[in-house]
Order: sequence, then C-alpha cells, then structure tokens
Amino acid sequence: MLASREKRAEFERQAMVHTDALYGAAYRLTRNPRDAEDLVQDALLRAYRFWDSFEQDSNCKAWLLRIVTNTFINEYQRKKRSREVLDAASAEQEATDGVLVHADATDRQSPERAMLDRSVSDDVQRALEALPDDFRTAVVLCDVQGLSYKEIAEIMETPVGTVMSRLFRGRKLLATALREFAAHHGYVREEKPGGEKKAATTEDENETIDLEKYRAQKKAREGF
Amino acid sequence: MSLCESIDTLAMAYLDDELAGEEARELELHLGECASCKAHLEGERAEISFVRKALVAPPAPDMLKARIARALDAEEKTAARDTRKKWQRYLLPGSALAAAAAALALFLGMGVFGGEKKTEPAVAREVLRQQTRGLPLEVQGPGTGPWLRANFAPVEPPQFQEPGIQLIGARATAIAGHDAAQLRYLVSVGVNRVSLTAMLIADLQGDELRGGQPVKMGRLTLHVYDVEGLPAVTYVDENRIGYVFTSERMSLNELLSLVGTTDLISRAQQQR
Repeated sequence: MLASREKRAEFERQAMVHTDALYGAAYRLTRNPRDAEDLVQDALLRAYRFWDSFEQDSNCKAWLLRIVTNTFINEYQRKKRSREVLDAASAEQEATDGVLVHADATDRQSPERAMLDRSVSDDVQRALEALPDDFRTAVVLCDVQGLSYKEIAEIMETPVGTVMSRLFRGRKLLATALREFAAHHGYVREEKPGGEKKAATTEDENETIDLEKYRAQKKAREGF
Repeated sequence: MSLCESIDTLAMAYLDDELAGEEARELELHLGECASCKAHLEGERAEISFVRKALVAPPAPDMLKARIARALDAEEKTAARDTRKKWQRYLLPGSALAAAAAALALFLGMGVFGGEKKTEPAVAREVLRQQTRGLPLEVQGPGTGPWLRANFAPVEPPQFQEPGIQLIGARATAIAGHDAAQLRYLVSVGVNRVSLTAMLIADLQGDELRGGQPVKMGRLTLHVYDVEGLPAVTYVDENRIGYVFTSERMSLNELLSLVGTTDLISRAQQQR
C-alpha cells in the first residue's frame, strides 16, 4: 500500500500551498474571519478525503475552490439561514420588549461577539453582504482568485454567459455600495472616473452580457 | 457590424483577458475610432481595478495552518484505523477469499514472490504507468456500460458484489499495441474514497498477463503481480480479453480480496 505519508506529502505539495488563496476566498465569501477559518479547514479536510478522486493533471487550485464554494453553499448558508430564523425571533422578542436594537447587534449571540465582529469587519465586508450569493461567488472567484470564466462556470455549474452577467452586475453593485460607504465616511467626493453609470440591479435586464452569444451572433451575421 | 452595441460584453471580456487575439485586435481598432466606447472601456477598467483593490484579502493566519495540520494528522489516523477494520471484514475466517488470501500471504511470507520481482510483464507495467497519470475520463456514470460495448468490446464492466464500490467512468486507451479501456471505480472505506482501476485489454495473444503468481479463486485462476511496489491482479477470459486490476492505495491482499468479489468469478463458473 502506498504509504499515507506519501499521500500527505503530495497533498501538502499540491493543495496546502493554496491555503492563503483559499482563506482569501473564504474570507470574502463568509465575510467573517471565524467562519472563513472553519470553512477553509472543512474544505481542506474534505479535499484530503477525496484526494484520490482529484485528476492529477488538472488545476488543483480550481478544484479546491470548487470544494470551498460547495461547502460554503451547502453548509454555511444553511447554518446562516437557521441563525437568521433564530435572530428574527429574538429581534421580534426584543422589539416587543420595547428595546431598540441595531440590526448588526441582532445577528450575533452576544454583545462582545458583536463588538469583535464589528471591529474586524469593514466596508468591503458590508458591501459584500448586500450582494446575492451567486453574484458574490462569481466576483470572488474572478477578482480575488483570478479564475477564468470557464473555470468559474465549472465551479458554479452554470453556463459562461451566466457567469459573465453575474460578474458584471456583481461588480457594479459592489462598486456602487463601496462608493456609498466611502462617500458616507468622507473618503471620496467624486464619482468614478469615465463613462456614464448604469443603475446596478440584481434583476435580469434586457441587455445580455454573454461572449458566447456575441460570437454566435457575429458568426451568423458574417455568414450572410 | 458595429461593436458599440456589444460594448458591455466586449469591454468586460477584454479587461478580463477573455477575448481571442483577433477579437481583441478588432476591439482595439474600434476603440481608436469610437470615443464613446473608449470612454466606456476606461470606466470599466477603473471600476474593475477599484473592486479588485477593495477585495484583496488577508493571508491565512498561522494559527489556522497549524490547526489544519493537526486536523489532517487526526484524519490520517482515523483513515488508517477504518481501512484496517474494513479490510478485515473481507478476510473473515472460513471464506474462500480468506483461504486464497491466506495462501497468498503464506506465499508472500516465504519470500518467493516478494524477493526477486522477476515477473514484471511489460503489459502490467504499462497499465500502472497509465493509472498513475490520472488522465481524464471520457465517459462517466450510467453511460459507462453502453460506452464500453460501443467503443471497446461486447463485454460488461466487472461488477463488485461488495457494496460501496462504484463504477465512476472510463476512457479508451492502448496498452502495448492492444485496444484497451480503463475503468475507474471508487471504493468507499468509511469516510475515505480509494480509487481502483480495471484495465480491459483486447486480443491478447497468450500469456502476456500470466507471468505472475497464480492464485485460484473457485474455478478461476487469477495472477498477482507486484510491479514496482504497486499491486496488480490479472485475469484473462475465454475471449482473450485481459483484466488488470490495480489500486495505488491497497495492498496486494486487499486488492485480491476485492477482485474475488467481482462477477468475473460467477461468469467463469457459469461458462463451464
């Protein structure tokens, strides 16, 4: 039997070297250092268990990010939802008690924890908070991890066109939110340079951001 | 055609370096002529760079790396224990399998087989070389059986009676000039997954796979090899199709026990 030592060494060499990158993705996906640490550990353990099914010639970082993303979607979102239900109940309780609580303070169990989370969170994390998960995931995989559209499409199991439109709108929403926070804090006075701004929405718009579609249309037009 | 109407798509793909060379050149040409698209692209460039700078994330804390290393250590120990337990189950005393495995173990213990390694056939070596390369599968899931019949030979993929062994997929290949199909199985051992490969090789001439140590399983004679430290179990059926089972993560005994649960055994019984 191939020694488990060799498996471990190989895993260290190919997978563990991406720990920083995975943490970066997890940090932006969960928007919370504690959850990010748990997510990275869960994902790497899972990767180690499934190491035999990793295709040795393929992109290890993309494979690991897929595990991080799936773990995030499956585990952390579920956890978060159940926490939200509890929070909603307790918020309601507190409201009926006549106590006014800040929204941030209701989504953690204790005031100390809320303080801690607030001190490490920043405008970026809050801006990310406002993004739908799919948009955030696309932006994180592209702009934090530098993956290609195709790699993101494989991870998210969607067509490249969907990745592009999520990325397009996700970036717009994020930039808008960041500028609003910055303006609020007096960091910036001016709007972004160049070009007119479009109102960013999470709704599907008529314009399509899709390279494949563009190529198909172009080909069709040139054909005639 | 005017590129203006697709500028959102083109600008984004251009800035993300996703345009083909020709498409990028075409866009650059257009930007030289169209001030509005040029301004749009520069606006997008600033925005993407703004977002990327904002999203730069901190590195993983050293404490986390240490924690993960400890978790992996614990995982290794659990896995080793689970594996031992699981394989012991195959070797319950009294079964034909256990008898065969015991005979083999005795044989190995005598050092006849382990010592000289004189019977490493080129075919088995080639199979192991291919397995360790981990090439992508051509077909996956339930389509694997039909694919095998269409692309290789009218045979069924070997089935394991043992639950928890799943056929993942296959790819076509060639072994020493013969058509071959590599089938990949996933063996679940507790929470671990171990991969097992069956290489099917067509039109064998004669004894290419029979140089190893023979082990009788019912009426079937399997041959076992140790090729550069990796175990291989082979069998040639009446249609001169060779089967080479290998797994990087199993001992010869473990692999042999599993191959003993395939339907090759029952197929061979029926034919005689």
